[in-house]
Formats: sequence, structure tokens, C-alpha cells
Amino acid sequence: MATQSHSLSYAGCNFLRQRLVLSTLSGRPVKIRKIRARDDNPGLRDFEASFIRLLDKITNGSRIEINQTGTTLYYQPGLLYGGAVEHDCSDLRGIGYYLESLLCLAPFMKHPLRIVLRGVTNDQVDPSVDVLKATALPLLKQFGIDGESFELKVVRRGMPPGGGGEVFFSCPVRKVLKPVQLTDPGKIKRIRGIAYSVRVSPQMANRIVDSARSILNKFIPDIYIYTDHMKGVSSGKPHAAALLPPGCSLLALGPVSPILLLSPPHSLPQAPVGWRRSPVRSGPILLHSAASTRPRSCSCVIFAGGCIDSTNQSLGLLLMTLGQQDVSKVLLGPLSPYTIEFLRHLKSFFQIMFKIETKPCGEELKGGDKVLLTCVGIGFSNLSKTLK
Amino acid sequence: METKDQKKHRKKNSGPKAEKKKKRHLQDLQIGDEEDARKRNPKAFAVQSAVRMARSFHRTQDLKTKKHHIPVVDRTPLEPPPIVVVVMGPPKVGKSTLIQCLIRNFTRQKLTEIRGPVTIVSGKKRRLTIIECGCDINMMIDLAKVADLVLMLIDASFGFEMETFEFLNICQVHGFPKIMGVLTHLDSFKYNKQLKKTKKRLKHRFWTEVYPGAKLFYLSGMVHGEYQNQEIHNLGRFITVMKFRPLTWQTSHPYILADRMEDLTNPEDIRKNIKCDRKVSLYGYLRGAHLKNKSQIHMPGVGDFAVSDVSFLPDPCALPEQQKKRCLNEKEKLVYAPLSGVGGVLYDKDAVYVDLGGSHGFQESDEVRPTHELVQSLISTHSTIDAKMASSRVTLFSDSKPLGSEDIDNQGQWMPKEEKQIDLETGRVRRKAIFGDEEDESGDSDDEDDEEMSEGDKLDNGSSADESEEEVDAEMTDKVYMAGKGVKRQRLEMDEDSEVDLPAFADSDDDLERSSEDEGEAEEADESGEEEDSTAGKRDILESSVVGDRSKPRLLQTDGLSDGLNLENPLTIKKATLTTSDSGHCTAEEAFASEDETEESSSLSTEGEDSENEEVIRKKFPKSSKVASGQRLGSENLIDETSDVEDLLKEEEDYKEENNYSTETSGALKWKEDLSRKAAEAFLRQQQATPNLRKLIYGTVTEDNEEEDGDTREELGGLFRVSQPSGECKHKLDSLDCSRFHVEAPHDWDLEEVMNSIRDCFVTGKWEDDKDAAKILAEDELYGDFEDLETGDVHKGKPGPDTQIEEVEEVKEEIDPSAEESAKKKHLDKKRKLKEMFDAEYDEGESTYFDDLKGEMHKQAQLNRAEFEDQDDEARVQYEGFRPGMYVRIEIESVPCEFVLNFDPHYPIILGGLGNSEGNVGYVQMRLKKHRWYKKILKSRDPIIFSVGWRRFQTIPLYYIEDHNGRQRLLKYTPQHMHCGATFWGPITPQGTGFLAVQSVSGIMPDFRIAATGVVLDLDKSIKIVKKLKLTGFPYKIFKNTSFIKGMFNSALEVAKFEGAVIRTVSGIRGQIKKALRAPEGAFRASFEDKLLMSDIVFMRTWYPVSIPAFYNPVTSLLKPVGEKDTWSGMRTTGQLRLARGVRLKPNKDSLYKPIVRQKKHFNSLHIPKALQKALPFKNKPKTQAKAGKIPKDRRRPAVIREPHERKVLALLDALSTVHSQKMKKAKEQRHLHNKEHFKVKQKEEEEKLKRQKDLRKKLFRIQGQKERRNQKSSLKGPEEPSK
Repeated sequence: MATQSHSLSYAGCNFLRQRLVLSTLSGRPVKIRKIRARDDNPGLRDFEASFIRLLDKITNGSRIEINQTGTTLYYQPGLLYGGAVEHDCSDLRGIGYYLESLLCLAPFMKHPLRIVLRGVTNDQVDPSVDVLKATALPLLKQFGIDGESFELKVVRRGMPPGGGGEVFFSCPVRKVLKPVQLTDPGKIKRIRGIAYSVRVSPQMANRIVDSARSILNKFIPDIYIYTDHMKGVSSGKPHAAALLPPGCSLLALGPVSPILLLSPPHSLPQAPVGWRRSPVRSGPILLHSAASTRPRSCSCVIFAGGCIDSTNQSLGLLLMTLGQQDVSKVLLGPLSPYTIEFLRHLKSFFQIMFKIETKPCGEELKGGDKVLLTCVGIGFSNLSKTLK
Repeated sequence: METKDQKKHRKKNSGPKAEKKKKRHLQDLQIGDEEDARKRNPKAFAVQSAVRMARSFHRTQDLKTKKHHIPVVDRTPLEPPPIVVVVMGPPKVGKSTLIQCLIRNFTRQKLTEIRGPVTIVSGKKRRLTIIECGCDINMMIDLAKVADLVLMLIDASFGFEMETFEFLNICQVHGFPKIMGVLTHLDSFKYNKQLKKTKKRLKHRFWTEVYPGAKLFYLSGMVHGEYQNQEIHNLGRFITVMKFRPLTWQTSHPYILADRMEDLTNPEDIRKNIKCDRKVSLYGYLRGAHLKNKSQIHMPGVGDFAVSDVSFLPDPCALPEQQKKRCLNEKEKLVYAPLSGVGGVLYDKDAVYVDLGGSHGFQESDEVRPTHELVQSLISTHSTIDAKMASSRVTLFSDSKPLGSEDIDNQGQWMPKEEKQIDLETGRVRRKAIFGDEEDESGDSDDEDDEEMSEGDKLDNGSSADESEEEVDAEMTDKVYMAGKGVKRQRLEMDEDSEVDLPAFADSDDDLERSSEDEGEAEEADESGEEEDSTAGKRDILESSVVGDRSKPRLLQTDGLSDGLNLENPLTIKKATLTTSDSGHCTAEEAFASEDETEESSSLSTEGEDSENEEVIRKKFPKSSKVASGQRLGSENLIDETSDVEDLLKEEEDYKEENNYSTETSGALKWKEDLSRKAAEAFLRQQQATPNLRKLIYGTVTEDNEEEDGDTREELGGLFRVSQPSGECKHKLDSLDCSRFHVEAPHDWDLEEVMNSIRDCFVTGKWEDDKDAAKILAEDELYGDFEDLETGDVHKGKPGPDTQIEEVEEVKEEIDPSAEESAKKKHLDKKRKLKEMFDAEYDEGESTYFDDLKGEMHKQAQLNRAEFEDQDDEARVQYEGFRPGMYVRIEIESVPCEFVLNFDPHYPIILGGLGNSEGNVGYVQMRLKKHRWYKKILKSRDPIIFSVGWRRFQTIPLYYIEDHNGRQRLLKYTPQHMHCGATFWGPITPQGTGFLAVQSVSGIMPDFRIAATGVVLDLDKSIKIVKKLKLTGFPYKIFKNTSFIKGMFNSALEVAKFEGAVIRTVSGIRGQIKKALRAPEGAFRASFEDKLLMSDIVFMRTWYPVSIPAFYNPVTSLLKPVGEKDTWSGMRTTGQLRLARGVRLKPNKDSLYKPIVRQKKHFNSLHIPKALQKALPFKNKPKTQAKAGKIPKDRRRPAVIREPHERKVLALLDALSTVHSQKMKKAKEQRHLHNKEHFKVKQKEEEEKLKRQKDLRKKLFRIQGQKERRNQKSSLKGPEEPSK
């Protein structure tokens, strides 16, 4: 009999998504033990269960075993199936939590994935849908995943406690990926952004735009920030204690290379309770201070730099790994802990190691040190796709 | 005489040279133009017909595009592995002879017995691995998958044989390597014409199979049992210059054709159980793609395995060094065939075996030039180790008798003894274990240090004390603890020092990292060792004291010993062996190397690096020694100190790691608080981009864990360590799973400087020199002419590029003399190059998509080559895996013992690497076609053997065909001349992979053995093959259009599932199931388009999913005993089983054929009504003959009654007539007789008459003749006769 490739074993619920995604792609079963074993409320949380359910929906033939307390999970991956799927995400985490993993899996389905995700579009913890749309999609395009049906659409916006947002994501299927050489981040030519507001006055968004411009203008004059105000049904579920802060995400565009550089993904720090009901006069002040933190964190991201922003580092590295047996290179800012763990996981799942070189910034004032990551792809081919 | 022998020079009358001459001659005569027909007669070449021209153009374009292949990235390695040449043919065709001749041709050596692959160097850049392929279909299939070139031997005196065609088909399915036919036995033809005809016939048949124009080589005959030298030479030449196209499967998978096998199983295990699973190591050149350590492989004929270890070895059959010369010299003509016992060097993990064959043609020492030194040193090392070990023991035990007797049998206790000396001095029980291990580790980890340090250094260091020990102590006693802290602080500074002073350390990631890995291992070993040793307890102290006395004499051997210990460590401490990771091999080797150096170190010459290192060490040691002296009086033990120095170095490195580590473990460790105050911003930067980022990510595996857990690690067992590369798992185990990176120390972005730090990220910032527009502009202004010209051009509005170019050229000419400075020249060159590039591009017109793609691929290929070129193999292997062309050694565990016991070198051993999830099993769907030469059709659910990917396995396929609506309908048998689908449960293989199927791989079948071929289409975890199911029912109550139907279902639930389904009667009335009825179980109400009859049968057509039997049985032919390897038989088909058991199928009686008995049919007469008859015309009226009625009485004649008289008369007359007739009869007979006699007489007379006449005539003629003769004579004699 064919030996079933031996399973990997991990402990703890951290990096659950990484492990399950890599397991699905590599075909190696994974066992995760001690999930919040010492917690008062042990076992998998709702959002994790929802994630596992989502995985089950998009795959065929996967085996998932969870013990009584939910502290141990065994996952034997099936083949990625895709097709038209609808999924209600947990409101505890943003849709970004689910979408990040879907972005890793979607190009390797049997049928092109067309998924409707419902839940929280923008929250404090996960990268918001707008950010992913602005950064992850162009990144995937670098790897040859492109086409008419490749889109991410925010149908409705939903904010944390209530949710009610809706996102449509469709992605074509590819058999092989192109190797990439993203070593020159280029210069930021213009800054584009989107300022959204939900269930507040549309003027709020404009104020955000103004305050953001005031800071960013010091760097570059070519700034355009769209405002996106959603009303009625498309503004998510009303919630009694809903705090619906307006948000904004900006992206800077490089000149020559079509690389989309940066996304300042940080949502607002939690606004004070009752902010919405506060008198009108204090509103703009609060808003102004909140908005001005945003460009700051933006410049922080620019300081970190690199060709891929920190949120999508792991996605980029994964797609490099899954490329043909060619050399891929990418220049990144400082590696996030999530990426570092992801690199380790890549080694255990695919036996792949990245060559890591630090590129100190020279005389140029380009922000922090950069890391050049190089790898040879494993020659991955989409085993799910049907040959006609 | 001599002048006659010399040939007279003949002028060439044809060929390029002659033509050239002729042309020149004509030109000299000024009639050169006449030569060119195009010029002479231009009208003849003018366009005659636009249509024809279009057509011819179209045709040339078609031909051109036909030649295009999809461009692929050229991934062939710079030093490619030997080309696999498979020599294939039916028995007794001359395969072995050909191989022998080829080897002799290339190497001038004669191999009498050839077993397994033979690798030879055939040219400056090419090596060949020649292997013979017999007629076992297993072998044919396996070798077709790895072959680069197939030499297909054909017995011309016999013609093609089945094996040839089978092999061709196998090749076709698995990618079609280059195939070259070789005709042998051509000397058996007597007549040249017959030979020619046969050649032509065979050639054309061969062409239809391979491709038109495929090379077919003729070996005309044998001389002294060998083929003719010239022909073999030519063949060899063909092979060496042959070009190959990459095959998809081969280039995407790593594979090895093993040329050596070793059993590494512990002999004790074999003794206990001869059938125990074995651990084997296999050697061979890696081919195809990069091989990763710990990946999965498949051995055709054996099964799937995980690689437990891979290491690369020096090339045993290396290509000659690149030199500029035309051919190889004798020394470089290597041959390597360990299975045949040929080939000088065998590399083992820790030893080298040199076969010093008597053959003078094969001079060992010179051939392996690149590895020569290594080999020699290794050989010497090997011997010295043994010597040392032996000597050390002797000396050890000679001093202490009781000790020797106790410990000789137990090596595990011998090791701690060494360390116990230290124990005595410090007076700590615990330390000895640590020290012992640390000493080992230091040997392990500090190989580089060992290498670099000279003996003198070590003596220097001798004054310094043992620090690492103290650190351990520090944890135990307070006083010492303080000191330990001091040490730590100092080290903090030293760390910085080292980073400044040791650029080599800081920059060369790989060396450092490797060493750190070793440390990681060492630490693990340390811990585990600790426990063991502590159990060893105090008992050994006494013994150690004895040893301590003679510490000085032992100094000479210290290094050897410590290294020896390192080698033995794995044996004694099991944990350590477990934890050694894949780099274990390297460390072992390094250990050897280092040992070597220390041996010769009496006259060791320190190199540049070494001296640097020394300095550093000297700098540090004063400090460390201070601390040490505070703690302890001058130590006598020099060994300890040297090792401690190493420990110190090591710990510094550790510390550095920890530094890096701290990026994540924020505030987890005590020392970090101190550090954070001191390091501040610089540290933050360091944190973000430390030179050892790699170590942070991949290295120092469980360091943190170990420090914190200590004993608890034991409880956790191996589970954690297997797959927990993260150090911080403790604190981060259950933290939030979020990809966002929160920067801990955000800068204050309101400050101007901080803001300036990213100023250059924007287009408004400063640009690089080569990109800065302003600068380029400024530079260009040096040569104002250019700018002026271009602007001038623009002004003139001359878009024509030609004029522009010309002008530029003119300008250049103008400038050239003026431009004297070298910088200017350089700039000019650059410009010219750019212009040339532009021109080239412009002239070619727009480059096609194909060209672009090709260029892209070329670029990628170059990048692939260049990326890791400058790194040493050790590091390279980690990043990209083992690259093809390397000679590797692969260790595999738990191989069935039969593989070793029944090892037959004639059978190829192939290790095929498996891609991701190719080791998994699932449903595979494929497009299949029964081979047109296979005699039978294939039946669903009959087990059949597939060859897909690397594997050969038996499985049970189901055949299906896809209906127009996408439904996959089960077939009982494969269709005859059509493709059909097939699904089986088996190993996942990528789509697009070809496969073939054979009914059985055992024995010899009379006919063509390949049953089916095809391609993998889809992989899935579920299948939807259906077969038709008809449910029938009968009406039991009929209303108008509604009927109640029973007998179709068994329960109301079943009916409910089929509500609304379409049903039909046999007579064709359509209807629909409405609702279940209560009364008879399973009955339902249905409505139809018409009223039914009670006799109608109602049926419903449904589709029933078929399940595929999950049967997958790899063909384990290599496990069969020698000589029976072609007898593997797996599951038998039901038909075979029935035949074997003599069980006859009990057929359904109704389906039996019976003799047809037809009853005689009686037709009634046709009755036509009278009225109709009357109406009919006469012609058509039935002609009924009226029966002859009775003759009326009046017509009837009366009977005559004669009178008695009359009666008498009548009687008399009667008598008379009888007499008369009798008389007449007699007379007639007599007359006849008479006539006969008369005739005879007459005949006789006639004969006599004729005879008489004849005689008469004879006489007459004779006389006449005589007369004539006489006349003649007289006439001849002339006038003389008359006178007579």
C-alpha cells in the first residue's frame, strides 16, 4: 500500500490557519493538539470552527476530527474543489481572517472559486477587506493569476459587533505559477486611498481625507482618496452598542514596477465609547486625531518598506514556494512574527528553505533595513485541475 | 618507382571549394554576373501568380510554426549527470557484446562481466551510464522511464520481435526518449541485394514507429566475437554528440539510477531476526530535478519510502578539468561500475575504499584528481583513528587495572571516565556529565575553531580557566552565581566586540549558521547526556581520579580523543543520535578534517583568517581568565581549558543567537532587561535586520524550550521536538492568530528627521545616480551635441529613423577624435551599445510573442544558474536541495529484507522522487484506449497492472464512457477502437501523465503484452460513475389517466424520494409519479398521458452510482528471489481463478443456447368467397380442376370373352412369335461375333501391309541414301573418280 505521508503534529491554536492551509496544499495531514488546553474556555473558538467549516466547503474528501473538548484537531486534507460557495463567517473576526487563507488556496481549485463571505468587513484585528483588495490582488497578479473573473467586491460593509457585511471573491484557477523577481520596490509615485464611513454622516469621510492629506502632502502631492459612504442595507447590521467608526485605507503606488507597495492597514484605535453620541463639536476633533494617526502608521509602513507589505508577506512567500523550479526573489521589510513562523512551516511542509539576506539601507533615506528572500520553487502543480 | 606510387593531385570538380574557385575564375573573366541566374534572367524569377505566391508563403509559415515548441526554462545543470543509455533488445541479439565494445571504445578497458549500470566518461563534457535491458517487462518499464537514449538492437536476420515493439510503446507512453536502432547479425546475409532489401524494409518499419528519419545504425558483422572497431567508434561518436529534448516527467521529478547498494542494518538485529526491516543506503547520480532531504521517494518494484538522509559525495567518475584540448588523455577515461566490481573509489559516509585493480590502464591516483588529496587524507585518517582509539585505550587501562576490566565491555561508561578528571577538581558531581558532553560538543560544534587554532594557541589558552563549567555551577551556588553574572555581562560586551572584530563571522552566514546548528544538536545531546551521566553517579569519581593523574601525557591525544568521543557519542547516548539532524553527515566529515589538521598541527601554518581569529581569542581570554581565577585556583587540566575555550566561543555565539531571538521573545528572558537599556535604538535596528536572520528563523531549534523546560521536556517526549521548530511556542502557543504586524516601537513621525528617513521612498526624494534624471541630464550635457541633435531632430520633425541613425553615426565620427578622455569614451560605448540594441530591435520588426517568451525563459534560466553559483555546496544543498548531477548517497529505512536478500544487480534500482501529495492515494480518472495490437478486450473490475509515473501497481479499474450530458456511464468492457474513461483507486499522479496497462507481468505471453495506454485526466476524492437501473411496476387499478402502481418500491419513503419522477410504460405511454399510497406498501399514484391497460408494465429509468473497489497493490517484483523476478503475480481475475479451480460458472438457464426445433407449419387453404371468385377476372380465378367423374356406363367398353378355339390359336401364335424372336436374337449375336472376327482379321492384314510398306520404303531410302552419298563422294573427288 502507498504509505500515507506522515502527518505533522503541532500544539496550540496559534497559526492554525497557516497549518491548515499548508496541509491542504501539501497533502500532508496535520494534527493540532492542546488548543487552549489550559484556558478557562478550552477548545476551538467559533471563528476557528467557522474557518474549518469553510475549508470543508471548498475541499472534497477532507477528513476533520475534533475531540470532545475541541482541544485536538486532526485534519486530513482532501482536494480543493472550489465552485460557487457561500459562507457566513463568524463575527468575532473580520472577513480578512478567512479571506487571507482563501487567497492562498483559491488559485489551486478544481473549479474557479466564487465565494460570498458574510460577516465583519472591517475590524481592528484583521486586515480589512479593502486592504486585501488593494494589496493582495495585485500581488497575485504578479504570479500570473489574473483574468476577468479575478475580483474582490465589497457588497456591504459590516462593523464588528453586528457584522452584516458581504464580500464577493472570485478567482480563476491556475495550473502553474510564474516565478517572480520583486527586488526593486521603486519609488512611490502617488497615493490613492479609500475612506469609508458607515452609519455616520458622509462628511466624516471627507474630514478623514482632509486630515490625511495634511500629513501626506509633506511627502508627495499626488494624493487622491476616494470616499465610500454606505447607507441602508449595505451598511451592515444595526447593533445596539454599535461603534461604527469611519475608516480609511491608503495605498501608495510605485512608478515603473506595477507593484502595489503599501497598505496602511491599521484601523482606528478603538474609539471611546459613546463617541457617536458625543456632541457634534467634539466629533471632528476626535476624528481628526484619529485620522492623523493613520498616515503616521502609514509612514511607518513605508519605513518598513519592501515590495510586499507585512500583511501579505506570507502570501507572497507561499506563492514563491509553489512556483516552478525556478528562482524567485522578493524584497521585504522586516519580517513579521507571523511570516517567520510561516517560513518555518514552509520548511516543515515543503522542505523548502529561503535564502535570507539583509539589505542595509545605504545613504538613501528609504526607511528601515530590507530583507531579500530567495527560493527555488518546488515545482508545484495544481493537482485538482481537470485536464480536458 | 616512388614517383609512380604517389598519386597525382586531382583538382576538385565539385563541392563548395570548387565552386568558389569557379566563381573566382569567372569573375576574373568579368562574366561573373552570368553565374547568377537571378540576375541573368530576372523575369524567370518574377512573380507569376499572386495566388501561388500567397500559397507558398503560407506553406513556409506553416512549416515554420510547426517547428515551434513551447519554450521551457532550461534547467539542465552546468555539470549534468551521465546520460542513461539503455541497450535493449530481444535475447541473443548482441546487447552485452555491444556494451562491452562501447566501453572498450571509450575507456580502452575490457569488462568481461557486466552487472548493473556502467558509468564512463565519453568526452570532455559528457558521461554515459550504460545499462542493459532484458526482456522482463518490469525491467523494460522501469528503464524506459529513466532512459535518455535507447539503443534498440534488432536482429536483422530475424526481423523485428515483439519486445522491440513493446518497448517502443512503453517509451512512447513515458515520454519518448531518443531512440536509435542498431541492426545486428547483418553478416548472415549471403546476397547483397537481399541485405539491402532487408535493411530498407526494417528501416521503414522503424521509421513508422519512431519518426521518419530516425537513425538506424548498421553493425555489419563480428570480428573475433566483437563488432568492428570502426563501426563501434562511429556509434560512439553518434552517442557523444547526440542532443536531447527534456522530457516532462523526468525534468519535474528527481530520480536516481542506483549503481551501488549497501545494507546498513545493525548486524545484531539481523542475527535476531533475519526478516527484520533493513536500512539501506543507495548511491547514484541524481538526475532530473532537485532532491530535497526527507522527501518521499518510490522505488519501482519495492515501494514507497521516506528518505531518511541524503548526502552528496565526491564524483567517482568525474569529468576532466576544463582544459583546452581536443580529446581526453588516457587517465581521464574513467569507468565506474561498482555493481560489476569496476571503478576505483567507493565513498562511504565515513570511509573511502580504493580498489587498486591490477589493470595498468586504470591508474587510480591520478584519475580522481579533484578528490585526490581528500581521499588520501581520509584514508590516513581512517587508519589513525583506529590506531588512536586502540592506543588510547591501552594507555588508559595500563595505568589503572581495575578500571580497565570494568569498562572494556561497556563503552558507554568509558566515555564518562574521561570527564571525571574534571569532576575531581571542581568537586561537583553534576558537572562531570555536563563537561563530558560539552567536551564532546565542543569537538562537534567548534570544528572551525579547531581547524583554525594552532597548537600554540591552545597552549596559550591553557592558562585560562573553564568557564562553561562555572556557568553550570553558578546555577547551583550563590557565590558562583554572582560570578556567572559577571561573566555574562562581560560576554555582552564581548559580543559586541566580536561583531566588530569578526567581520568574517558576522558576514558569512552560512559558516556561522552551520556551526550554530551543530550547537543546537550539541545542546540537546548535552541535556540528555546530563541525565544519563548523573545516574552514572559518584561511582566513577574514584576512577576518574586515577585518570586525572595522567592528564598530561594524554594531552597529546586530546584532540584525537575528543573527536573519537564525538564519533562514539551517538553510540553511547541514544538521545544524541536521535537529535542529530540531517547535517549530521557534514559534522562527521568536518570532525575528520579537523582531526587531520590537529594531527599535522605541529607544523601548522596559520592563515590570514586564523590569525584574526587568534587575536580575537587572545583579546577575550584575559577577561575570561580573570573571572576564572577568581573562582578557582590554577587548573592543571589543560584539556579542559582548551575545550572550555571552545565552549566560550560557542556560548558567545549562543548569546548572539539569543539576541536575535529576543525579537520575538519580548521580555521572556532575564537578561533582556539589562540589554534593552543599553542597546536601545541600535538594538532595535539590529533586531530588525540581524545578519543571522536565517538562524533566527530556521536554526537553534528548541533552545529556548530547553532552557525553560529543563526536566519537563522529558515528559513531553519526542512529540514536541518532531515538528516544533518554533522556539517561542511556549508563550505563543495559544495567542491570537493574526497576520498583522504591529510595530512595537513606532517612531515619532512628527519629527522632521524621522520623516526624512523615508523621504527617498517617494518620487520627490533623491534618486540613485543611474536613475536620477537630473544627473543623467547633467552628464549628457557634456556632450551637448547629442542633445542638440536629438532636439534638433524633433524640431525638424523627421520621424525617419534611418536618417537619424545615419546622422548619429556621423556625429559619432566627428566626436570620436575629439573625445579623448576615457570616461567619455565609456559613455560613448554605452550609447552605441544602446543604439545597436535599438537598431537590432527595430530591424527585426516587432518581436513576436514567441520571442518574448523565449527571452523571458532564457533570463530565468540564467538567473537560476547565477543565484546560488557562488555558494559552497553545503549551503546550496540546503536552499535548493541536491541538484541534479551530484553523486548522492541516500539512506532509506525499513526496506523489506527481501530487497537485500534477493538483490540482483542486473535489475535496475531506481529511486524516483515524488512530488507533493503524490504519495497519497485517491481516485484517478484517465482516458484509456485498448491497444490495437492487444488481442482481447478489457473487462471492468478485472485487476490489471498499470504503470503510471514511477510506479507499477495492480488495481481494479472501472471503464466508463461519458454521455452527451456529462454523465459517466459504466461500461462492462472497453470499446474496441475507441477511447473510454477509466477510474481506479490508486496513487495520485499529476494530470497529463501517460500510463500503460498490462494484464500480467509474469512469464511470457505469446502475444503483444501491452493491453492499454492513455493519459491521466483528473484526480478526485469522489467519483460519479453510474450504471443504469430500471425499476418496474404493474398497475393494479386504472382510472382514466390515473393509475395505482405497485411493485416498484418497497416503502412509502422510497416513493417520496422519487415523487415527480418520469415513468413510462413499455408501450410508450409517459407519466409521472404523484404520491405514495397507504394500502399496499410501496404503491403509488401516477398519472399518465393516456389510459393504461392492466397488461402494461410501467418502468422508471434511474442511475445507480457504482463504487470503485479501493484496491491498490504495488508490483513488488524486486522482492522476488533471484531468477524469479519476472514471476510476480498479483490478484487474479475471476476468469483465471475459475480456470484454476475448475469452477464453472452456473449460467442462467434462460440465457443458454438450445438447438432450435421448428415445427412444421401447416397452412390452411386459401378460401376465397364465392362472390369474390365470381368477380375476379378469369386469370385470377382459382383454377380448380373438376375431378374426373365416373365414365358413364354407355361409354364403358365391354369385356371380350374368347372362344376355346380362338384361345388355342392365340396361344400358338404366341408360342411361334416367342420362338421367332429367340431365333432372331441368336442370329444377331452370331452376326456380331462374326463381324468381330472379321474385323480382327482385317486389322491384322492391315498391319502386315503397313509393315511391308515400311520395309519397302526403308529399303528404298537406304538405296537412295547410298546413291546420294556416292554422288557426293564423287562430286567431292571431282574429276578423279570418272577416271577411275
